[in-house]
Amino acid sequence: MTNEEFSKMSVYVHDARKPLNRISMQAELIKMALNGDIPTQKAVDALDKIIASSKDCSNTLSEMTSELSETVSDSAK
Amino acid sequence: MLTVLLVDDDAEFTEVACTIIEFLGHDVLTAATLQEARDWLQKETFDHILLDFMLPDGSGAHLFDELDMLPKRPRVTLITGHPSVKSVIKGLCGPNIDYLVKPIQREDIEAVLSRKPEKAAPKRDKIEKHFDLLIGESPAMQELYKLISRVSKTSANVMLLGESGVGKEVVAAAIHKASDSEGNYIATNCGAFSKELIASELFGHEKGAFTGAVGRKEGVFEQAESGTLFLDEITEMPIDMQPNLLRVLENKVVIRVGGTKTIPVNCRVVSATNRTMEEIAQSKVLREDIYFRLAVFPITIPPLRDRKEDITLLAKTFIEEFNKDNNASFEWDEAQLETLKAYDWPGNVRELRHFVHRAAIMSDPESNALELPKTIESPFAQKQSTTPSLQAGRTIEDVEKELIYATLEKVNGNKTMAAEMLGISTKTLYNRLHAYGDLSKDEQ
Repeated sequence: MTNEEFSKMSVYVHDARKPLNRISMQAELIKMALNGDIPTQKAVDALDKIIASSKDCSNTLSEMTSELSETVSDSAK
Repeated sequence: MLTVLLVDDDAEFTEVACTIIEFLGHDVLTAATLQEARDWLQKETFDHILLDFMLPDGSGAHLFDELDMLPKRPRVTLITGHPSVKSVIKGLCGPNIDYLVKPIQREDIEAVLSRKPEKAAPKRDKIEKHFDLLIGESPAMQELYKLISRVSKTSANVMLLGESGVGKEVVAAAIHKASDSEGNYIATNCGAFSKELIASELFGHEKGAFTGAVGRKEGVFEQAESGTLFLDEITEMPIDMQPNLLRVLENKVVIRVGGTKTIPVNCRVVSATNRTMEEIAQSKVLREDIYFRLAVFPITIPPLRDRKEDITLLAKTFIEEFNKDNNASFEWDEAQLETLKAYDWPGNVRELRHFVHRAAIMSDPESNALELPKTIESPFAQKQSTTPSLQAGRTIEDVEKELIYATLEKVNGNKTMAAEMLGISTKTLYNRLHAYGDLSKDEQ
């Protein structure tokens, strides 16, 4: 892996961590809702947001693999 | 209850984090950019700032200088997406800072907000100086403190043994201090005087005792009356002078050179040598009778490598001294202290002190960060790299290659000799070099 590829990948990893962070925080919210600390509706919203963030994260990872596979096929030429 | 400012550009994250922080019983305000954060800082005072490292209009670290200017500096917790950024920030911002690494949990937030703000502060200043002089909390030093306080209650003569640079003179001064004696502490170096002069230095002389003796002079024994006389490098004292010293120690009187009157002396003699007891016994540099007179209470001072846990305390003390004397504000970071701990310090505390001062002089006076040279070198020791060369994670091939080149360098490129040193055939060596692409075909 070249430096350039590595820094590209780092950007993707950074972007992928963002939805993971959201998921983690939303999960905390759900825990609080289950404890009765906040209204249940908040937990339902949080679950929707977790699903959305999971898709975000997955998209970022797919983008990364396709971008990196391009550079691999570039260098193979 | 705290007033918290949360600076992060991820709106969804800040929203949830706010819910959690409010639930924990704190007030929270949010900012998505550096500019917004600055605006808030003008309007409000905050107890704590949770700060994202990467913001749309710059790095969170830019806010640090402004925070220093505030009348009440809030505590700062940096939020970073990447664990490796941690060490970089630590270097930038000093040790008094917390981190949260994404993804964050509720417990993480709870932990940083509930942490006592006083916790980090007192740790950095007061380093205890035992007897106002000695630094170190290692078991070896605790033992030494015990010996010093025991012997200080008696009037026994003490012999200090220890390598060069361990601080024998400091220990001697500590013994004097702990003794609460009314006399002075006088130090002299027995190796520094010629045979002719040492008698005059120790015992004094009368006017006209020898050419150049224009006046009367008190010897160190007299000067240290009711106090402590420190005789450094006692084993360097010419052996034929030693009977004179023995007589003083036995009879507790001195006669000045060229004089006739006996002068009573009453002082504790602390002597020191960098030779070991075995060496003293074998090399005949000290008469046996003198040894027993001086070493009523021998104390061995541990070398620095045997009390590496004290290196941090010493390094911090030395840099504080330097800062005070030079109006600087250098600080160590943890990694640098680890580097110092990894070295063996053959020149002991003295070497460490000089090294610290040198590093401080070489560092940029405008910054607080110290710059260490790449290697710690001492002409008295084999070179040691500050980064350990053998680390897990390197391949055998890699290390082998390095060893081969190091050996070649040592023997000035003589491949036969290098092969012999490495314990491989010359053919194998040529094969390796060829594989590294360092040898053309015709050289083989």
